[in-house]
Amino acid sequence: MPASVRDPATLAVERHSDGLVVFTFTVPDHRHNVITPRFLADLAAALDDLERSSGRLIPRGLVLRSGREGSFFAGADVSRLDALRDLPAAEIARLCDAGRSLFARLSAAPWPSVAVIDGVCLGGGLELALACDLRVATTASHTSLGFPEVKLGLLPGWGGTVRLPRLIGPGPAIELAAAGESVTAEAAARLGLVDACVPSEQALETARQLIDVETTTGGIAARRRRQVEPVALDPQERAFLEATTAAVILGRTGGHYPAPPAILQTILAGSDVDAAAAGAIESQAFAKLAATPVSAQLVRVFRIGERNRHDSGVAGDVTPAEVQTAAVVGAGIMGAGIAASHLRADVPVTLVDVNAQTLAASVPGILDEAAWDRATKRTDPARALALAGGLRTATQLAAIAGADLVIESVTERPDVKTAVLADIERAVGPDTVIATNTSTNPITRLAEAVTDPTRFCGIHFFNPVRRMTLVEVVRGPATSDATVATAVALAKRLGKCPIVVRDSPGFLVNRVLMPYLHEATELVREGIDPARIDRVARGFGMPMGPIELYDMIGLDTAFYAGLVLSAAYGDRIEASPLIPALVKSGRLGRKTGSGFYRYSGADQKARIIGVDPEGRRVLDRYAVAPRETTDRTIADRLLLPMLLEAVRAVDEGIVRDPADIDLAVIHALGFPPFRGGLLAWADTLGPSEVLRRLEPLADLGPRMIPTERLMALARTGGRFTA
Amino acid sequence: MPSLRDPATTPVVIACCRTAIGRSHADRGLFRHVRGDELATAVVQGVVERSGVDPATVEDVILGATQQRGELGGNVARCAALMAGLPLATAGATINRLCGSSLEAIARAAHAIAAGAENVQVAGGVEHMQHLPMESAVDIHPRVLARTSRGMLSMGLTAEHLAATHGISRRRQEEFALESHAKAVRAADAGLFDDEIVRVLGHDEAGGVIEAVADQSIRRDTSLEAMAALEPVFLPKLGTVTAATSAPVSDGAAAVLLMSEAEAARQGLEPLARIVATAVTGVPPAVMGTGPIAATRKLLARVARLGITLADIDFVELSEAFAAQAIHCIDELGLDPARVNVRGGAIAIGHPLGASGARLATTLLHSLRDSGGRYGLATMCIGLGQGIAILVERP
Repeated sequence: MPASVRDPATLAVERHSDGLVVFTFTVPDHRHNVITPRFLADLAAALDDLERSSGRLIPRGLVLRSGREGSFFAGADVSRLDALRDLPAAEIARLCDAGRSLFARLSAAPWPSVAVIDGVCLGGGLELALACDLRVATTASHTSLGFPEVKLGLLPGWGGTVRLPRLIGPGPAIELAAAGESVTAEAAARLGLVDACVPSEQALETARQLIDVETTTGGIAARRRRQVEPVALDPQERAFLEATTAAVILGRTGGHYPAPPAILQTILAGSDVDAAAAGAIESQAFAKLAATPVSAQLVRVFRIGERNRHDSGVAGDVTPAEVQTAAVVGAGIMGAGIAASHLRADVPVTLVDVNAQTLAASVPGILDEAAWDRATKRTDPARALALAGGLRTATQLAAIAGADLVIESVTERPDVKTAVLADIERAVGPDTVIATNTSTNPITRLAEAVTDPTRFCGIHFFNPVRRMTLVEVVRGPATSDATVATAVALAKRLGKCPIVVRDSPGFLVNRVLMPYLHEATELVREGIDPARIDRVARGFGMPMGPIELYDMIGLDTAFYAGLVLSAAYGDRIEASPLIPALVKSGRLGRKTGSGFYRYSGADQKARIIGVDPEGRRVLDRYAVAPRETTDRTIADRLLLPMLLEAVRAVDEGIVRDPADIDLAVIHALGFPPFRGGLLAWADTLGPSEVLRRLEPLADLGPRMIPTERLMALARTGGRFTA
Repeated sequence: MPSLRDPATTPVVIACCRTAIGRSHADRGLFRHVRGDELATAVVQGVVERSGVDPATVEDVILGATQQRGELGGNVARCAALMAGLPLATAGATINRLCGSSLEAIARAAHAIAAGAENVQVAGGVEHMQHLPMESAVDIHPRVLARTSRGMLSMGLTAEHLAATHGISRRRQEEFALESHAKAVRAADAGLFDDEIVRVLGHDEAGGVIEAVADQSIRRDTSLEAMAALEPVFLPKLGTVTAATSAPVSDGAAAVLLMSEAEAARQGLEPLARIVATAVTGVPPAVMGTGPIAATRKLLARVARLGITLADIDFVELSEAFAAQAIHCIDELGLDPARVNVRGGAIAIGHPLGASGARLATTLLHSLRDSGGRYGLATMCIGLGQGIAILVERP
């Protein structure tokens, strides 16, 4: 019988002869099932029908499952969040109440209900599942459960914060909801989040068995009671849980994100009272978070990330070539990292290096990295063994003959790169895409090394490759759309976030990074304590300050990158004299145990001890007249030259979309997502305010002079991100 | 009261001993090349020998160990009994009440005697925290955390919590730790540990074989200035608990020989003390450091009918998992600091978890013997929120 006369329905109803009723959801027009208003209406109607007809025959149980491969429900429809944000708080709270009440009908019905979870079960989807009396998850690899709302600056608003702590305890509930990470079905079973974890084909039968067992043992009534009553948590345990969790959250968020502490407080407060009162607390908390600017920024960052995932990297309709095997030439740190990321993504890769020793030495690290299990924080030996077959090594370029795409990753010297690229072209077939991984060499220049520059582009990975998700796909003037699309598609297979940029010195990321770094050295010359500069940058939300970053990059590396950029943008980005001076005194950064700072050792984990007298002498040699400087002006001076450079990059058409700049700085520089990225942050100030802040800095030179378009934006009240 | 006691069911301690306590350090630890079961064997053998008991009469060996696997797996108490050359008829059981394990072993032996069950018994414990680290191979169920929190799995965080909620300053913790070392140094220098330490072979830091007779973690060179320079371990930047104010991880073993008063008389052995009462209790895991408070109060309630009060207790051996935790217990119970851990505590001597209770009992019994006290109390805090206490009386 039809659940609803409307069409197309998102929900189909089956009545089995044994009394089981099955609701199967299929929400059209989305990759996964998502909860839409239409679905909520269909669910309400289906429950109405069931209640009406149950006078004749009370169902043995109700099973909720998805008709879509790979998803139970991926959550609420994120595209609707912006409209939600504009509603008054009371209206938002009412919408939460309505959803929660609808789901609560499941746990108030005279029959038991089971959610069969085969695929992603996130956010509102998990709240729906939690509203059922029982849950069966499948062992299929696509099955995962979680509350990702926190990543959008929100909390679960349809009963998640009410039901979860009652089911698995407040502490584990806070961990799950405040971190936003999904768990596997096995982990969910361990947590008590699901009642059984079985292969997909057994799921329905298991649901039936659970219903029968729990009905006859009175388990359903006990479960429902537990879901309504306050959580009995010892007061001392509650105080400790609150204190330790708050400390962990503060450590992770730096206090910049309102959602995790709100989740902590909402779950704790909701645990103290009955479910009805907890629901009211949840609605209020959700409405409050929905109105925060941080949530608005996080939703936008999510959206531009999704757009990037579906973007081919070129304007037209171009099908990327399929890369069945790739090759990497050069087994240095970058080459090895790039090879490992291919292997990890199951793309067979041939690694070539003329130096047999370098090559051999790189292999264990590559396998370790490719088989690294993020969950257990160690290499999975079985996986490493399985992946080893996908890695070929060779000292001769002849080995790359069959590759569909080759990434040259030899030393940054243009003469060497040119020679190697020419050799690569001779070694491969006519359709192979040839890419260079470079941070400083112009693609246009390197393209001259190959006879067919249409199949040549830059693929700029960042160091360390395993951790840095951004990839710049750099197109030279002759690069074809097909080449770009192939590079973009490959980068995505590697799990990266590729942005396509036109060739220009420093491409995009280093070009906007350098003014920020350079300004920090100017502040140091003016006598500002490096630790203060770093503190201000961290306070803004950067993962580390510019001075720490210099020391991490390595001052020799920074020196060469700076040369390229100052040659190109000399009037705006001058090479700081501090960098060569530090290099000359042997202070290369963390790797030598001292740079701007002195460190407790020469490894990446060493602690900063401070600026030592010898370092101070080097820095003092280039001292300039101090300026009046507040923490606000330090932040402005670091960020505004960066912004101006980003605006120029947009004006010059270096990026295809201003949003790419925000994605790039978030992924590559750790620019704080809660600020939405560089341009989104500038939009929160507005162009007029940016101009006003630049004014007192104008005497610092061309790097602080507003561009034409900035002034135009200020006149028209335009937006940087538009 | 004593006249009402039946010597046949009155548990007494005849002898006790321990190994030196080594640092759990892979390159420098005293016992880095010595197995934990060998340490256990040394104290079982040692306590039988120094008691003068007829080995044929030893009925059971009860040892506590928190990591019962590898070299401490397969019921190490039985293994140690076999290795120590005790009769094949001597039974063996390994038990786990985490940090309270070997006080628990002593309590169980006493209970068996009081119940008229096994009579002559060795009770003690062993831990090798370098060979068998405490975090490994443990899989706490999330539903345990559902009643408490993940944070309580970090004992250091529970100490931070006590310090924060009771205003125990970092400086006060450091002064306490410094005093613990100073007392241990004085005791060691005066030879007060000589009687209790059984001689086993170990290795010095350079790798040479030595007779392990001195506790390795006791520091002569520490100072408030040195302590003040340390970073908080469990709560970076914000916290007050550092490596200096936490007990070190340690390797070692300790054991006590018990029997009934009647059996001692029969074998012509002179008891060191009798076991007057024991108590265990649970407390919220988040405040596991308060375990000794709850356990001691429970024990005192039990002996109130005998007219024994806290004021009658001459010496207290209190676990020093953390200075903050020990300070809080002293404050709350109103203990006289001059009677607590008079020969230094675990912060100085070390804390080989499963062996610590018997180590405390051993040191307590020697303190009582040497200074003619009457009542002694050993009490410990236990992870996941428990406390244990044992009261002894010199004859």
